[in-house]
Parts: sequence; structure tokens; C-alpha cells
Amino acid sequence: MDPLGRRNFLTRAVLGTTATVVGATTMGALAPEALAAPKLDVEAGAPDPNFVEGRITAIRGGMLMTTDLDRVINRIHMTKATSIWKLRPTTADAAKVGDGLYARGVRMPDGTLAADALWLNIVNLQVHITSIGRSVMHMDHNGERLVGHVVSGTTAAIYNGTPAVSDLSMLQVGKHAQVIGAWRPDTNEVDLATVYAAA
Amino acid sequence: MVIEWIAGVQPVVVGAVLVWASYFKLVASNAPAAARRSALSRLVGKERVVGAYRTVGAAELAVGALLLLPTSFVGASSAVVLTSGLVGYLGYARWKAPDSSCGCLGEKHAPVRWRSFARAGVLVAASVLALFAAAWWPVSLVDSPLASLLLVAELALVVTLSPELDHRWLIPLRRWRLRMAHPLGGQAFEVPLESTLEQLYKSDAYRGAVDRLRSEVLEHWDEDDWRILTYAAGAETAVFAVPLTEYSPTSVRVVFVPADADMMVG
Repeated sequence: MDPLGRRNFLTRAVLGTTATVVGATTMGALAPEALAAPKLDVEAGAPDPNFVEGRITAIRGGMLMTTDLDRVINRIHMTKATSIWKLRPTTADAAKVGDGLYARGVRMPDGTLAADALWLNIVNLQVHITSIGRSVMHMDHNGERLVGHVVSGTTAAIYNGTPAVSDLSMLQVGKHAQVIGAWRPDTNEVDLATVYAAA
Repeated sequence: MVIEWIAGVQPVVVGAVLVWASYFKLVASNAPAAARRSALSRLVGKERVVGAYRTVGAAELAVGALLLLPTSFVGASSAVVLTSGLVGYLGYARWKAPDSSCGCLGEKHAPVRWRSFARAGVLVAASVLALFAAAWWPVSLVDSPLASLLLVAELALVVTLSPELDHRWLIPLRRWRLRMAHPLGGQAFEVPLESTLEQLYKSDAYRGAVDRLRSEVLEHWDEDDWRILTYAAGAETAVFAVPLTEYSPTSVRVVFVPADADMMVG
């Protein structure tokens, strides 16, 4: 099914239904195995087998090879059921060699991770805003200078914990902010996804 | 002679900066803490750094006083030595401890960057020019009206080159500029995905379905007044419809459809 046709199909499927609370009978047949929690054979203090962090060193087909700070190499399967975040939810071809990643999934018997969710270059920073320019925000993070790029249509601000808005004009110089963004690898630049600030 | 009144003003500039720099080092109660944080502790070791800091402060005070009193040639030559030593110290600090504070002008953390070098360079140049001063500096100020202008301009230059003083003028200036015309205002009005997700998480439809979800948001698109989001849920795809322009979590809809036949192929 072509992408547009598929979207139309899914839209009609969800908007055509009047059910808002999904009851057990409408969920369809569920095999008991699907509901059983996977057995985890992990000793206390060992790293979580279903989580991987690192930098992508190679991409082969749908498989990512990553290396983390402890030089541990992991292989990660991407499928169409894997959600990929790189500043915004995106597709598998957004992954590039050199990107940092966090991956959550299920460890397969052959040692690879079948990823359910992937976050590329995601950073969570506590910063001070030092200067604001046109579509750019300069920040100080523990004494380092960072440049934050405002991406129109994506960058949002959350003021005082209220719901996110795309209006960034209440950001103030000299104030503290928490920033979720996508790092541009090997630079001091970050694309801003969400800025948490006090207005 | 032009050089005379220019040179006559320099002792004030260098002297004032040195006396001011020495004030914090000798008088302030948190000077020892600032000393330990500065690059000086890498140079002389943590045990001797407070003593070294106070010694530098005393030297700055002495040279500054010599410059401001009518003994300016002796003062000027010692100032040339002191400010050249400052440039050397900055170079050492930048090489060995680039993130530590220079500790030059107060307790604010000021890593050594080009502005510190530029300020030190200005002080060296001013000290060298001060060697040519023929008369005591109040005489130069009285003799030539341009001298006072030059003095103010040089002191302003030193202030703009001091990162420790930014909070007094640069930040207020930037805030004023934001009040005039905020550069990030006037963005197109869009409902951020974040806002839709907040509404989704509060809905009964999501809370009933969340145990079956495996991934985060796979795709999303807008259709009339709705934003459609898809999640992977095992062998199926969960499709949520969230109101786009109003806050109404009770209106959120969900449906599970079988995943595409080729979804599981990596």
C-alpha cells in the first residue's frame, strides 16, 4: 500500500470508530505469549540488556553497529515497527554514522537488539541563556558555549510547566532553561526540540 | 605635542585598573576561594596559591599607586613588566587549564578567552606609552580636553573586554534589546507535537492501550481537526486520533489495525 493510501486508510479507521475506551473485547485475539512478560536473566548491577547507548559506527541494511564509552559493541536491528527520534519522529534513513543513540528494545538470542524505540543525538541540558538572535539561542552549559538552533515548526517552549507552545518570545536572556534537543555530532551546536523555561 | 597628552593619560588607565584589580585580591573575604579556583593554583600549587594571590594583589596595588603618584616613570616601567607578566600568565593558563578562571578582576568565573588577551594587550600598550609621559597626569587632563575623552574611552574599552563585568552592562543591554523586538517572536503558529502528546497521555484511550504499545511515536500527520499518531503494538499498529486545536482528552480515539505484512522485515 502506498504511503498516502495507507495514511488515508488509518485515518478512516480511527476516525470512523466511536469507541474511545478500548474494552477487552475490541482488542482482538491476543495470544497468551504476547501478554507474558519476557524473562530477564540479569544479575543485580549488570547493565540492562534491553537498552543500548553509544555512537553509530556502521550501518548495514537495517542493522546499526554501535560502540559505547566502554568500547562495548552492539548490533541493533531497525524495523518498520521501530520509532526513530531525531529532533522529531522520523524514519530509519535519518540514522547516520557518527550519531549518538539510545535504543530500547528486546535482546534477541543471537545478541542483537531488536529496537522498539531509538533516540538519535538526544540531549537534555541545563543551561543559562546568554543571548538570543534570529532563529538562534546562545547558551552557557557549565562554562561551555553552545549554540541552539530554532527549527520552525518543531521547536516548542514549555513555560512554567504549562502545555507546550510554539511561541518562543518569552525566553529571557540571563535566565536558566532546560533544553531537550538534537546534538549536531562533533560540534557545539544543538537543534532545539523543547525549551523548558520560566516565563 | 600629541604624544605627550596621550602618554600622559595612560598612567591613569593602567593605574586605575591595577588598583581596582588589587582591591578584590587584598580586601574581599572570598578571595582565597577565588584564588583556589583560578589558574594560579595550577602554577604555584594549592597550598601557596592564597599567598601568591595576595602577593600579586599587593604588587598590583604598589605599581598602580606608583603610576598614579608623580613617580610615573618608575611606575610605568614596573607596569610594563607586570602587564607583560600578565600576558604570560594568561598564555600559561590557556595552555594548562583552559577552563579555569583567570582570577584577574574578581570572583566571577571568567575563563581565559580572546577578550582576556585583548585586555592584557591594551594594558601592555598603555604601560609602554606611559613611559613617554612627561608631566603628572592631572596636568595632562587639565591641559588638553581631548585627554579626558581618551581616558573615558580607554576605560570603557577595558570594561567591554572584561567578562567579569558583563552582568553589569552586557546582559541588561541584551535584555533591553529583547524588550524592543524579540528575535524569536513572530514564528508561525503551530501546535507542537509535545502539546499533542501531553493531551494524549492524559486520555483514557491511551491509558487503556499503553500496556500494549512497544515503540514511541512512529508517524504523525494532521487531518482536519485531528492529529493522527501511530505506535507499534506487537503485531499491530495502534492509531490514535487527538484533537488538534482544542484540549479534550476525552475525545481521543484509538484503533488497532494489523501491521503491514512487510513490517517485521528489518
